[in-house]
Amino acid sequence: MPGPEFETVVASYYEPLYRFAMSLTRSEADACDLAQQTFYMWATKGHQLREASKVKSWLFTTLYRAFLESRRTLTRFPHFELSEADSDLPVIQPEAARQLDAAQALEALEHMDGVYRAPVALFYLEDCSYQEIADILEVPIGTVKSRMARGLAQLKHIFAGSNPSPKQPRGPID
Amino acid sequence: MTNQEARKILALFRPGSADEKDPSFDEARQLAKTDPELASWFATHCESYLILRPKFQSIPVPPGLKEQILSERKIYRPPFQKYWRPLLAMAAAVAVLAGITVGLWPFHSETDYTAYRKRMIKTAMGPYSMDLNATNAAQILAFLKTSNAPDNYALSSGLKTAALVGCAVSTWQGNPVSMICFKTGRPMAPGDQSDLWLFVASRKTVSNAPASSAPVFARVNKATTATWSDDHNTYVLAAVGDEVLLRKYLQ
Repeated sequence: MPGPEFETVVASYYEPLYRFAMSLTRSEADACDLAQQTFYMWATKGHQLREASKVKSWLFTTLYRAFLESRRTLTRFPHFELSEADSDLPVIQPEAARQLDAAQALEALEHMDGVYRAPVALFYLEDCSYQEIADILEVPIGTVKSRMARGLAQLKHIFAGSNPSPKQPRGPID
Repeated sequence: MTNQEARKILALFRPGSADEKDPSFDEARQLAKTDPELASWFATHCESYLILRPKFQSIPVPPGLKEQILSERKIYRPPFQKYWRPLLAMAAAVAVLAGITVGLWPFHSETDYTAYRKRMIKTAMGPYSMDLNATNAAQILAFLKTSNAPDNYALSSGLKTAALVGCAVSTWQGNPVSMICFKTGRPMAPGDQSDLWLFVASRKTVSNAPASSAPVFARVNKATTATWSDDHNTYVLAAVGDEVLLRKYLQ
């Protein structure tokens, strides 16, 4: 790929990719590494992408895979049961939302179950359609929505200062 | 649609985003226009989202990251780019020779089909939730039809009598794939609902798949798979188990 095109892609996506990485890792160094690794892969493999419209999804998927790969050596994720309906419909009150800053929003994500963190981060960070989010996370749309609903319910409790001790162990991600 | 069902849908609506054009929100949004209580709830949801979104988007990006990425690229620029022409010519020559030698020309090391199969197995083995929990074949068929997923599939007698659990719609390269979930009756891990999966994709969306109606068996990670095609679709049946187990459902 010619240089200018690479630079254009970096200029367009390095900030949202970094923010997504930061929401996953909560570590500036790790987030920078993931963003750099993603663009390195773009530089070496991006030319294989046939549809220019899928650059964004490709980059986010690649970053997410790299993140999962980095975590996979630390822990094996368990099988989560997510199909049951969540009775606690999430409504975050505007008053609670107003009191937050970016650091607190990021910290709230850190307190969520790992499996919900990426969908909820994409819910707020990016203007991706649900289909694009499903492509990025490589799960069916129904799973994306189920995880988001539960993640948002959890976020509501976290914002309210009453984190409802998660049913599943924290940390593992898919 | 009830008020509660509409809330469940609208809780995932993001004002000012791609969701504005997403038809899956239409019915619930219409209901919010006629139900004052729902309208108030929805307005609160939208207001909160619009307050929170910029806060997440204001996570600071370290200064110099862009320059670092661009400079790393120069450091890592692989020699391939310098010598790509001769390397490409050599690689092509090796590929042709290898293809001729083993009689596999044209060959595909990682075909679309194998990548597709791998991805579907990853979906089945990973944590997922079904879009529809149902034990009734007609219900599943109707759901897949309304989801624009392949619904013109033909099931073997074994699969017709297998215990259905539900279905989900996955995608492959932007095309819908029907995922039909069954249970074999074997003991399952806590939380698992299904241990036998059938993936149906339109034949034209999965290149290089086995063209025959005779199943081709393969091991993919922990799963055993059987793949076959008919005039319309390519099928992948998968389970954690051996070929004997799958054959029972292919009769």
